[in-house]
Amino acid sequence: MFASIATIMVASMALVGCSSGSTTAEGEPDTSLTVGLLATPGNLDYTTTAGAAIPQALLYNVYEGLVKLDNDGTIIPLLAESWTVSDDGLVYDFLLHDGVTFSDGSPFTAESVKFSLERVKDNWTANGPAYLDPIASIEVVSDTEARIILSKPSNSWLFNMSGPVGTMFTESALADLATAPVGTGPYTVSSFKTGDSLVLAANADYWGEVPYMTDVTLRYFTDATAQTNALLSGDINLISGISQFQLVDQFKSNTDFQVLEGASTGEVTLSMNNASDAFSDVRVRQAVMYAIDRQAVMDTANSGYGLLIGSMVPPTDPWYDESLADLYPYDPDQATELLAEAGVSDLTVAFKIPNLPYAVAGAQVVKDQLAKVGITADVTVLEFPAVWLDDVFSSHDYDMSLIMHSEPRDVNAFAAPTYYAGYDSPAVMAKFAEADAADATTYVELMKEATTTMAEEAAADWLYLQPAISLADADLLGVPKNTPSLALDLSTIAR
Amino acid sequence: MTAIKSETVTRRPAGHGGGATLWAGLVLIGLVLLAAVVSVFWTPFDPEGVFSDSILLPPGAEHLLGTDSFGRDVFSSILRGAQISLLVGTVAVGIAAVLGVPFGIVAGMNPGRLDQFMMRGNDISLAFPALLLAIIFGAIFGAGTVTAMVALGIGTAPAFALIARSGTMQIMSREYLQAARASGKSGLFIGLRHVLPNISGMLIVQASVSFGIAVLAEAALSYLGLGTPPPTPSWGRMLQDAQGYLFIEPLLIVWPGIAIAVAVLGFNLLGDGLRDRFDPRMQVNR
Repeated sequence: MFASIATIMVASMALVGCSSGSTTAEGEPDTSLTVGLLATPGNLDYTTTAGAAIPQALLYNVYEGLVKLDNDGTIIPLLAESWTVSDDGLVYDFLLHDGVTFSDGSPFTAESVKFSLERVKDNWTANGPAYLDPIASIEVVSDTEARIILSKPSNSWLFNMSGPVGTMFTESALADLATAPVGTGPYTVSSFKTGDSLVLAANADYWGEVPYMTDVTLRYFTDATAQTNALLSGDINLISGISQFQLVDQFKSNTDFQVLEGASTGEVTLSMNNASDAFSDVRVRQAVMYAIDRQAVMDTANSGYGLLIGSMVPPTDPWYDESLADLYPYDPDQATELLAEAGVSDLTVAFKIPNLPYAVAGAQVVKDQLAKVGITADVTVLEFPAVWLDDVFSSHDYDMSLIMHSEPRDVNAFAAPTYYAGYDSPAVMAKFAEADAADATTYVELMKEATTTMAEEAAADWLYLQPAISLADADLLGVPKNTPSLALDLSTIAR
Repeated sequence: MTAIKSETVTRRPAGHGGGATLWAGLVLIGLVLLAAVVSVFWTPFDPEGVFSDSILLPPGAEHLLGTDSFGRDVFSSILRGAQISLLVGTVAVGIAAVLGVPFGIVAGMNPGRLDQFMMRGNDISLAFPALLLAIIFGAIFGAGTVTAMVALGIGTAPAFALIARSGTMQIMSREYLQAARASGKSGLFIGLRHVLPNISGMLIVQASVSFGIAVLAEAALSYLGLGTPPPTPSWGRMLQDAQGYLFIEPLLIVWPGIAIAVAVLGFNLLGDGLRDRFDPRMQVNR
């Protein structure tokens, strides 16, 4: 399946070069694009504001790092032309592209690398500053050579360098990060209206290939119906990541549009508070696993779209194991037996869900299925993000919740004992640490072992993987299909 | 509010006004009440389960109004939803009356500084929309039917206080009340024995109108996901669920819409009819 996605991607990328595309009345190619999105950024500074909305708009478009994640989840060079790693896995020598400038004219050099990465530890309060903890020191060898020395070998840090924390900033433009971002990317921000739109213009001085689309408007909608109506009426050209899948079918039969189905990193998770009285017994958690018909949840709450995963690993990660989806087949009798074995009867759990459509829908199916094995789920709907984050995520005051974890490679974070899941397994944590320091092959093996253990111990019920579905005008080419990172990479899109 | 308009009223014989309006209101409310009572004992299908084999069926012989995205019978949900609407309306209006009426009577019986002080406070609360209060309560105490009822009750109390006060002030100038005061009756006795019975008519009118407002507010809160938690059927949440299917199954949004309209219209007509009946002088010339 993924080979075919890759093939299509390559094919569509190849078409970019030779297609004449649609043209305007004057015969010029139409190089303006309007994209409809849902989550709106509150400001433009992802160094201090959490959430996926800002990186989605800015990463790889306005901001760039040394490396980037391509659409299949592979780490590829960006500002670094190439790099070498020492045998002990501690020293990374990056060769940087020459003649790169930031959009305010200041030059990008190895000094910028040192400055940007050293800034993270003390100045970043969001988007995972701890990801760069493995870095011991950064040396400027020459203008185009930067050497990064790690304190311990780490497989995950280079991956994380492809995300927001790896962004290169210029010292000259730090004052207005929230309103006027300056990066080395193919686009610059020309206007931003909070809650309404973000307008990007092609950066004429871009060091690489200038993108086909010269004017890109990201328009923010409050609901998916308005979003799809805008696409149908021609107000927008592309919806990246539709959230209500019952709206998709009307586009499948309409030749004016294309429907692209890819993989996301959003695991829709039925979290159980492992530290709570209700779920501290592994047998009770396993009973829940057997009691839930995940296919039925996906069919009802997600119109059947999605992928059953059974662990917190999407297929774009190398340690994905598709057999885990069948680890706990739907078996209410087995669930009842496990509950009896655990000495639990008449279990009532506080089921606190965010007021998001997929959660409200999914929770009703879960409640119905749990009732069939004698578990009563008291559903409370909490306002998202503020109240849910406070009650469930920060205070851990819940037994069960339902939320999508959208960050890439977030399984390590999920296993931390201090995390809201309350899963406490020193063995798994040790394995994650061992994996990070191991060589590439052992890394994948150990990651697979650790994530499998988490699934076996039912740390949570990973219901399904949210699909990444994009709806686009039929003439658009190179639309990113998967969302392996937080970024919406606009540079490949053409007509 | 209505008291100010006394110059523009037409006179009709007391006790016979508002016939048609009153009856129309009673019939509509009767329908809602019937739905609520029947659904306690019987609904055609379980309105809270999930039935993946009957998702989004069109209206037909088996499912009178079709089924929703969970495969639930919409007719059953509408019937059961009446319970929540009436419950929220009753409790919210009860809380509002218990808080607002004594407040208004005390203010009305004590003209001068106390009255001014109390009523300015009341004006401030009146300026604060009940729905907004309910959203804030939902955020602080967690969304739910109880939170919604309490917040809507507190939010509508100032309207009761205003009506109770203006009624009390009219009554206070009557001779028999001055006589009661002269004979040394306590304020509590006068309030309960003389004032309350005499203003009860306008309070009932206010209660009826507030009931409609509470039903609408509950629907709005549930629509926002801050009212009745799923899977308990609520008309507002049915609207929200249906919104995603607006262009796929448009009828899904029509049924709860009609239910809400019937209930709110019913209570408003009842309020109008009762006003005409209790106080013919209040009939606005329209």
